[in-house]
Amino acid sequence: MAMIEVEDLHKRYGPVHALRGISFEVERGVLTGFLGPNGAGKSTTLRILAGFLGATEGRVRVSGFDLSTHRLEAAQKIGYMPETSPLYPEMKIEEYLRFRAELKGVGRSKRTEEVGRACELTRIADRRRMLIRDLSKGYRQRVGLADALLGRPPLLILDEPTAGFDPNQVQQVRALLDALREDHTIFLSTHILSEVEATCEEAVVIHEGRVVASGNIEALRQRKRAGVVEVTFHRGEGELKEAALDTWLTREHAIASARRRRTEGELETWRVTLGPGVDPSAIAALVARLVHAGAGIQAVEPLAASLEEVFADLTGGTPDDDDDDPEDEG
Amino acid sequence: MTGFWPILKRELFALFVTPLAWVVITGFLFIQGLHFYLVMSHYAVSMELGADAGPMQLFFGQTVFLYLPLLLLCPVLTMRLFAEERRSGTIEPLLTAPVTTPAVVFGKYLAVLVVYLAMWLPTLLYVKIVAGAGHVDGQVVAASYLAVIAVGAGYLAIGTMTSALTKSQLSAAILSAVTIIALFILGIGEYVLPEGSGKELCAYLSVWSQMNDFSRGVVDSRRLWLDLTIIVVPLFVTVRAVEAWRQEL
Repeated sequence: MAMIEVEDLHKRYGPVHALRGISFEVERGVLTGFLGPNGAGKSTTLRILAGFLGATEGRVRVSGFDLSTHRLEAAQKIGYMPETSPLYPEMKIEEYLRFRAELKGVGRSKRTEEVGRACELTRIADRRRMLIRDLSKGYRQRVGLADALLGRPPLLILDEPTAGFDPNQVQQVRALLDALREDHTIFLSTHILSEVEATCEEAVVIHEGRVVASGNIEALRQRKRAGVVEVTFHRGEGELKEAALDTWLTREHAIASARRRRTEGELETWRVTLGPGVDPSAIAALVARLVHAGAGIQAVEPLAASLEEVFADLTGGTPDDDDDDPEDEG
Repeated sequence: MTGFWPILKRELFALFVTPLAWVVITGFLFIQGLHFYLVMSHYAVSMELGADAGPMQLFFGQTVFLYLPLLLLCPVLTMRLFAEERRSGTIEPLLTAPVTTPAVVFGKYLAVLVVYLAMWLPTLLYVKIVAGAGHVDGQVVAASYLAVIAVGAGYLAIGTMTSALTKSQLSAAILSAVTIIALFILGIGEYVLPEGSGKELCAYLSVWSQMNDFSRGVVDSRRLWLDLTIIVVPLFVTVRAVEAWRQEL
């Protein structure tokens, strides 16, 4: 039985149709990223999963409990961190976490230990006697994360868990997620792709209220890979010697674009992108053409598209110019 | 009622750790102290002491001093209960915890009721002072306190409801003050309307008449049923309102 089962979920806010029939499953023990551009419906979906919002239509089960009929049972299985980590400013961290632990049914005798553990994991133990009002955004976010860990729920639902952190803290959160995946199923939303690539095994991608892709990260990446190769060769003494290679390479309609990536002595590496819908066998034809023109081929390497490209493809956007490493975001 | 206790405790914490409860209690005791002083001064110069009009009767009945603070302080006590949680977003972690909606509503409501009781508690000193100077009718005192608690509990329930109906504390306070004052003014109908069902209805709804009756030691159960209705109906509406946010936010 999957940890989260979502079937044909719809949500309307008045005239706005925010979710238009999304369905997906999250398996137990898997760290799944929930990905989409801002406004795609991520937070709405997470709020429904956490039991804060009701669905207009459709069915959601968490750990086998239908949210429309067994919300309390499901809530006991979930540690939820809302997007902005809203907290009570007049409380100290420790007071707040003790309150939350009691609310989640953590027994009196275990409360101190449980709050201590959550503070240790999220590295807020040294500030536990501080008023929440005096905390920085990063610390508030960590208090929200500590709250989600209280009572050791089997499922963690985290809305943008690294928003508001500096790069060092992002690394810490990733390390924490890595440690938590042993005992928890984690479902986290983000619009930062590198986040998903760095931490998640599976991803669900939504756009304009619909699921546009879901599955293993590698499999998602391969979806676009077939179309891009890097070819390394030397020009040889034939017709290529003085030719303008970008026009020469794109002479065939199958090739959409060609750009030089590197030059090392005689060796040149060109990134060649096939046109949309072109059969990958066009790569073989390209290699044959190069050989025929006298080029000495060193390597032909199919490129996995970055998740960013897949994402842009799925959501109809255009990725940033990819001359540099696209993973430098976040 | 899963979650009732922690929510009650946290609300009390929030009320007493922020100055709100202290400000309300201080304001209330200042006005009631002045009120008690005036009552005592009156009896110090007036030699007539009817069996029907002792100092405690005068303190609890026939005086606007009793209502004015209630009409204004109850909305202040209740205004932040839900409005503030919705404005700051803390309602989201609260409602996603394993708690039932009635537990949230009753926990919050009971917290302000406790503050309300704490607000009245020091006035028992007045009873002791009067008892030191002469006879105090226990039934009058008991009935009077029953009435102020019953009426106040209704006002707090109305305030809890208006706090759940708006996102702004200020609108919540204004809305509940207007509702409570409107209920109070209805009672005036008893004196200005011609004989008929309208006059009777106003007399039945009149807080003024209720306090006059109870401050003489007359406990009318119909009045208590009315008070109970004014407690239960707004709380029921509050529960429904909180559940409705889940559908549309």
